[in-house]
Amino acid sequence: MSDTAAAAAAPPIDDDANWQRLHPATLALAIVKLGPRSLNFLPAVAALGFTGNWVYIVPAILAFLLFSLVAAWFHWLRFRFLVGDDEIVIESGVFSRQHRTIPFDRIQDVSIEQGLVSRALGIAKVGFETGAGGKENDGDLDAIGLDAAQALRATIRAHRSGEVAAPVAAHAPEAAAVAEDRLLFAMTPRQLLVAGLFNFSLAALAVVGAGMQFFDDLLPFDFNVFNPRDWIDLAGQYGLDQWVIAHRWIAGVGAGVSLLFIGFASGIATMFFANWDFRLTREPRTLRRTRGLTTRTDVAVPVKRVQAAILLTGWFRRLFGWHELRLQSLASDGEKERDHQVVPFARLDAIDPVLAEVAIARPDDGVRWQQSHNVIALGGLIGALGATTGGLVAVSFGQALGWFGPVIGVLIGAASLFGARFHRWTDMGDQIAIRRGWWKPRLTLLPHASVQSVDLKTDFVLRPLGLATLVFGVPGGSALATHEVPAIPLATAQELRHRILAAGLRR
Amino acid sequence: MTDTLAIHATDPFDPEALNAAVGLDPVDPAYVQVLRVATALNLIPLAIGASVFDYLLIRHIEGPYGLITALAWLIAITVIITFPSRRVSRWGYKIGDGQLRVARGWLFRTDTIVPFVRVQHIDVGQGPVERWFALSHLIVHTSGTHNSTVTLPGLPADLAAAMRETIRRHIQTDFA
Repeated sequence: MSDTAAAAAAPPIDDDANWQRLHPATLALAIVKLGPRSLNFLPAVAALGFTGNWVYIVPAILAFLLFSLVAAWFHWLRFRFLVGDDEIVIESGVFSRQHRTIPFDRIQDVSIEQGLVSRALGIAKVGFETGAGGKENDGDLDAIGLDAAQALRATIRAHRSGEVAAPVAAHAPEAAAVAEDRLLFAMTPRQLLVAGLFNFSLAALAVVGAGMQFFDDLLPFDFNVFNPRDWIDLAGQYGLDQWVIAHRWIAGVGAGVSLLFIGFASGIATMFFANWDFRLTREPRTLRRTRGLTTRTDVAVPVKRVQAAILLTGWFRRLFGWHELRLQSLASDGEKERDHQVVPFARLDAIDPVLAEVAIARPDDGVRWQQSHNVIALGGLIGALGATTGGLVAVSFGQALGWFGPVIGVLIGAASLFGARFHRWTDMGDQIAIRRGWWKPRLTLLPHASVQSVDLKTDFVLRPLGLATLVFGVPGGSALATHEVPAIPLATAQELRHRILAAGLRR
Repeated sequence: MTDTLAIHATDPFDPEALNAAVGLDPVDPAYVQVLRVATALNLIPLAIGASVFDYLLIRHIEGPYGLITALAWLIAITVIITFPSRRVSRWGYKIGDGQLRVARGWLFRTDTIVPFVRVQHIDVGQGPVERWFALSHLIVHTSGTHNSTVTLPGLPADLAAAMRETIRRHIQTDFA
């Protein structure tokens, strides 16, 4: 019934046969997605239980499942798409119909994403990034068969590179395009292992610890890894307790080893899950990245849309020369990230070729860096002062824990004073390089041509010192920070602003 | 450089000299009245709220009734009379040379430059209070996420329209 209605509502198109539906396995995916969503249903079940209507619980759950499945089926039935010669048309909506046309010319990149279940079913979610901003404005096909998805991308790519648009079913253009693709960067399991070791994180520890506390009474065994007494008890069962009591450091070592183990294991696990089989390839117009162990994603970054490059590292991994490269582009990477991580973990000699592809250079070793004024540590110093006074007040009320305040205050103050020395910048002629941070050093490479607007900011602290902060408006935006050169002499700031704007206009 | 000297020589209580020193045009003086109305609309409800609080609570606990009311109204009236003119005098703009320059604020002063070729689209807006004084505000949108909109208030309506035309011509020539 809905088929005829849809055909009547749709604008007249010569052959209805070209319309395609999502892969039927999408319905199976809908069942899987029901799992988390049924949590919403729990309060209703609880209400039924509390009111004593136990008999209704099973029928209610069944009705909910049936209703959700029928809804998913209707969605599937009322969703269809058409791949034309130079556009893709998507019709969706059960009650309110939506008819969307996306010209191939406007599609910046086509992403293909596969979750664990999708991979088992051989289907993939295709996303069209048009650069319109906002998830609402972009089209999604969730989900179609993996081969159909790859063929569709090949069609769009073939169209964009000016070749004759090939029919979706044909695989010939894809094979031709692959020939000119070049692998820029890949991660072997061994590299992933090294990267994971540096990815040491105790974030998982907090979760495990909180869980242990929470479920302490529920766990079948009465053992808390973080409680030294439990370790002593364990030793006692083997008759070792006297020895352990005599050598308490054993308990400390045990706790330390388990800490290290959890930190390394979680670091390696997250690295393996996110970056398994990481491949970055140079295609005619884009950098294409595929990665992931359970959820495989396939994202393309158009080279011309790259606005800035960000090199990240950590104070420790820097000693070994490991860096991470992110590119800021008009399109965003997925829903959470604003930047595209194109090299997760590599030495600079592996990163340089990638940078060369987007026509961004790294400053030479001999370049003269200019330093920001130390006044940028002021915020941290005020925080340190606050912590110190707070702690001392607590001490004066007889709270011995208050001594933590001055200690933390001194640490914060020293860290911010020390970190301020790492705020540096240099103008490289057609791009500006900004370095900041000591704990997590970050180097931003910003071509002058990307700068859309420049703010010159002063305030009551900077003005008496004759200083100003430059803030650059750059398309795409970075989750890491705004692009700014803080606290440099006013005359330098004005001259730099003039030079950058002049370079942007010349383009 | 001379600019640094100029900033240091500027009397902080004479903001007109500040704008003139860095070559900025002031916004229309009538914008003072617009800001004054806006400030009054913000502050008078607060003052009324303070008076009600005074009447309902302080009088019942036999505190110093009237003190809060008097203070609230005194502060509100002082702010409404004195602050808008100071704030207006710290707005400055300069159009020309292929770019729009907008400066605002004193404690936290921000001086923004937007090249015309970077402008995505332009709005000219007019609120009810602004219409009363025949003023408009100009909003320039760029594609940057930081600073993607730059607002310049307190322009005579015809000047705002003329500025929009100037910027629009540059956008067209860029694409031609």
